[in-house]
Amino acid sequence: MTAAAGAFRVVEPADVAAATAAHAGEPGSRYLGGGTDLLVNLRRGLGTPALLIDLRGIAELDGLACMAGGARIGAGVTLARIAADPEFRARYPALCEAAAAVAGPAHRNVATVAGNLCLDTRCIYYNQSEWWRGANAYCLKYRGDVCHVAPQGRHCHAAFCGDLAPALLVLGASIEVAGRAGRRRMPLAELYRDDGLAHLTLAADELLVAAELPADPPPSAYAKLRVRGSVDFPLAGVAVALRAEEGRLSILRVALTGTNSRPFLLDGTDNLLGRPLDATVLRHLDRLVQKQVHPMRTTLLQSNYRRVAAAALARHLAARLAATPEAAR
Amino acid sequence: MNGTVASRDWPRPGVPLIDGIDKVTGHARFTADLDPCGALVGRIFRSPVSHGDIVRLDVSRARDLEGVVAVVTGDDCPRTYGVLPVAMNEHPLACGKVRYRGEPVAAVAAVDAETAERALALIELEMRELPAHYTADSARAAGAALVHDDRPGNLERAVHHVFGDPEAGFAAADLVREVRIDCAEVNHAQIEPHAALADYDPATGQLTMQSVSQVTFYLHMMLAHCLQMDESRIRVIKPFVGGGFGARVEVLNFEIVTALLARAAQGKVLMQLTREENFLTHRARPQTAIRLRLGMRRDGRMTACECEVVQRGGAYAGYGIVTILYAGALLHGLYAIPAVKYDGYRIYTNLPPCGAMRGHGGVNTRHAFEVLLDRMARELELDPFAVRRMNLLSAPTRTLNELLVNSYGLPECLDRVERASGWRERIGRLPRGRGIGMACSHYVSGAAKPIHRTGEPHAVVNLKLDWDGGVTALTGAPDIGQGSSTMIAITVAETLDLPLERIRVIAADSAITPKDNGAYSSRITFMVGNAAIDAAQRLKDILSEVAARKLGVRREDVYTAAGMFLARGSDATAVSFEEVAKAALVGEGTLTIKGTFTCPPESQGGKHKGGAVGATMGFSYVAQVVEASVDEDTGQVTVHQVWAAIDCGHAINPLAVTGQVEGAVWMGMGQALSEETCYLDGLPAHASLLEYRVPTIIESPPIDVQIVESHDPLGPFGAKEASEGALASFAPALVAAVANAIGIDLDELPATPDRVVEALIARRRRARLKSAQESAP
Repeated sequence: MTAAAGAFRVVEPADVAAATAAHAGEPGSRYLGGGTDLLVNLRRGLGTPALLIDLRGIAELDGLACMAGGARIGAGVTLARIAADPEFRARYPALCEAAAAVAGPAHRNVATVAGNLCLDTRCIYYNQSEWWRGANAYCLKYRGDVCHVAPQGRHCHAAFCGDLAPALLVLGASIEVAGRAGRRRMPLAELYRDDGLAHLTLAADELLVAAELPADPPPSAYAKLRVRGSVDFPLAGVAVALRAEEGRLSILRVALTGTNSRPFLLDGTDNLLGRPLDATVLRHLDRLVQKQVHPMRTTLLQSNYRRVAAAALARHLAARLAATPEAAR
Repeated sequence: MNGTVASRDWPRPGVPLIDGIDKVTGHARFTADLDPCGALVGRIFRSPVSHGDIVRLDVSRARDLEGVVAVVTGDDCPRTYGVLPVAMNEHPLACGKVRYRGEPVAAVAAVDAETAERALALIELEMRELPAHYTADSARAAGAALVHDDRPGNLERAVHHVFGDPEAGFAAADLVREVRIDCAEVNHAQIEPHAALADYDPATGQLTMQSVSQVTFYLHMMLAHCLQMDESRIRVIKPFVGGGFGARVEVLNFEIVTALLARAAQGKVLMQLTREENFLTHRARPQTAIRLRLGMRRDGRMTACECEVVQRGGAYAGYGIVTILYAGALLHGLYAIPAVKYDGYRIYTNLPPCGAMRGHGGVNTRHAFEVLLDRMARELELDPFAVRRMNLLSAPTRTLNELLVNSYGLPECLDRVERASGWRERIGRLPRGRGIGMACSHYVSGAAKPIHRTGEPHAVVNLKLDWDGGVTALTGAPDIGQGSSTMIAITVAETLDLPLERIRVIAADSAITPKDNGAYSSRITFMVGNAAIDAAQRLKDILSEVAARKLGVRREDVYTAAGMFLARGSDATAVSFEEVAKAALVGEGTLTIKGTFTCPPESQGGKHKGGAVGATMGFSYVAQVVEASVDEDTGQVTVHQVWAAIDCGHAINPLAVTGQVEGAVWMGMGQALSEETCYLDGLPAHASLLEYRVPTIIESPPIDVQIVESHDPLGPFGAKEASEGALASFAPALVAAVANAIGIDLDELPATPDRVVEALIARRRRARLKSAQESAP
């Protein structure tokens, strides 16, 4: 038996405006997609919202379209649907590989794009039962004063562990957000900040409506470091998009998840453009990754391993992509 | 061999488990599926600290909460309990002191889960904390706080056994090598979480208990002991059980707590533990540090073995004494070793108590042993198969520690997996990053000496034959998914020459079935199977007598075939089983026949202290080859294929044997690759199926199972155990495959990617150091 979650009400708004209105009426409420993150956390006593706003009946959030001018992915589209979509697989393979790498098949059948992009940050001291956290004087992220990962600091190091974000980052995604104040668009990177306690820049009443991708994406791929080939969250996840012209890199974007409190595009890859993807460039890439990832003891596996192996994954992916005919033009 | 088998053609496919369809269709009712109508919800309040004295425990506010029907504490059960009569040192609810984080302190029964949860939050506990010890080293250090006041040095049990002359053995060796191996603690992670339904009838003072137990008789006994009730007032029923693997071979605190709550509430209480609580209840394989030394001649023959084992036992005794004894006893029985010295130390720590787990006691020492054997073979440039063949036993024999070996199919197991895996053609010829490794293992077919020496037979089976011509086998043996009820049906059917469908098995209900010691140490097939054959043979004798009268022939001329009784020499004269059954009931009524089995005294072990542990009627033997690849950048180990050959004496149900071997290999793979517990100051950080990484179907390789039949003279139809032996050879075969693939010798289990990368980094560091030293002037 799982511990009982606190009591809450559920409403099922018919459109986005009704959803944000419902939120305004109950400011502590939470938006619910597939529930594979939120409900698990609520059962562990992480949060006690009085109201859940179930977004699954909103048609606008359910669209998935691959058009000449780009692609639009409704926030409520399931990961299984993305992973299996032939057009997306052909144009945005990193995204489909990332979607297919999330948890297990049963999760992917209900888990949504927005749910994965807005996944709560994770930590071995946080994702535990109420009894466990209580016995440990709670933690900085929830009900406590100390980050057990780095007790000296006043910063929460919980790691962002969504798989989709790095794929969408290297593909140049932007997102559409709706709130009581209206709608706005922004690059996906601006959704995040490097703070395990508050890693999303959304206002409490805001929800994700869609992600949009530009047309003509460079070849891309996603790889996930984990102990098991299923179920596990990423110890590190790496997405790469790459193009080479006449053997020289013209596009190189690398993004990471699982290592920091936000997913992020690797800085400094532009300095490698114009060069062939040889051993020296790969060594540079390795160094860039190792420098910018900050894995902490938020998982049971060693941080140093996650750093070293994340860099290795980035090298593998880049080398693999560069060897494909699609990468050259 | 006991009993005769109707058909011995090979290959026999075997039959699906008789309760298999109920399980896969969802009809089977597990404890949590039982009728909760009118049942209160039981919940346990657990200690937030690792070690401390209880200064104040106030449950009054919980008791006063509306909807709370009962609250119990340690005061409600002043008696200690435990599986071993010599080490009953646990309270179902802490009395005065707690010894690990998560130890039950109080419990509530309420009208619903939410109320129970609220009641837990109202319990006030004030503790005086004591220093806590989370490693065996820290618990053994001078001045360490004592987990139990009567165990100085936190030593639960030390074992010192010497057989033969180790000193002379090492002196005669051409190569002596030593390893230090560390195996992380693992857990059974059985899929069905713990649950119990206790129903106390205030009118009659009777308690009916349904639980996930593997040992319903022990549960019955301990409930009577702890609740101070007359045994005859208690009935224990085992519903369908979703896996045990040793998690439930001792009575667990929550079972007694559920019964205490039911009595206090004068009603029915359903207790369902969370996965986290399952991990807190634990009772699994302890973290083990092993120092092992072997002496070997140039030709691969072993001359001596010296082994020191330290087990981090957790806070209570449980089966601990048996575990530390098994770890030494099972150094014997697989190979011929002229001298063996064993020193074992079982240490109390402030962590959830360890216990028995598939391959009980033998797995980690076997791992160290096989790993060292592999490395020494490499150093001597000998093939690992050849080294095993240099050290074979010759049955029948008795080992140095007086274990009985009447049948020994290991040589054929070796031949089979060597051939099936293409070993000779492939070893040394695989590309870098891919490797093969092999190892052997064995396991007992039932502990020959029972824990409680009552003078009763070791197994009893009753058969009921009634007017409908159906045979009902009544057994106390709990089927927990291993297929024991199917095994009983087959042994009865084959002895009586009846179709399987005519046999019904009713298992583990103390009001109906004869007492049985339970599902542990792989005892059921050997002991209960023999008792079932004995009962069926007795029934057959009676029916043959009746058939002889009906056929008008002498008793000795009657034989059976396919549900018929026939007269020898005149095949035309036959009478059906149904007719004979009806005739047998005339003047007698329903027939009830009893069969028994008692382990022969020569199987019950040596006279030395602890000599009963490891003693058995026969061992299963396994040889295993693992093929794996290693990604040197990410440290990922991928298992591509496993070949396992088991000598199970005789496969009563080949399909079930194959399933059990696959399960054992797979469980060994979990321990080898990814499973481990991790405590942060005594808090289990691993206590979910997300963090405790049981392999998924993606990690599951094809497993080629070969069955070798050595026909044990004492076994039922010649059978021995088939469920545990294959576990222990997986990990060493995998570690050998990793060494073969990338030249890295792993000294720790599990071989997680971070450990592999760490070992690779360490090797590069050593190489740099070496080249720096060489280039230095």
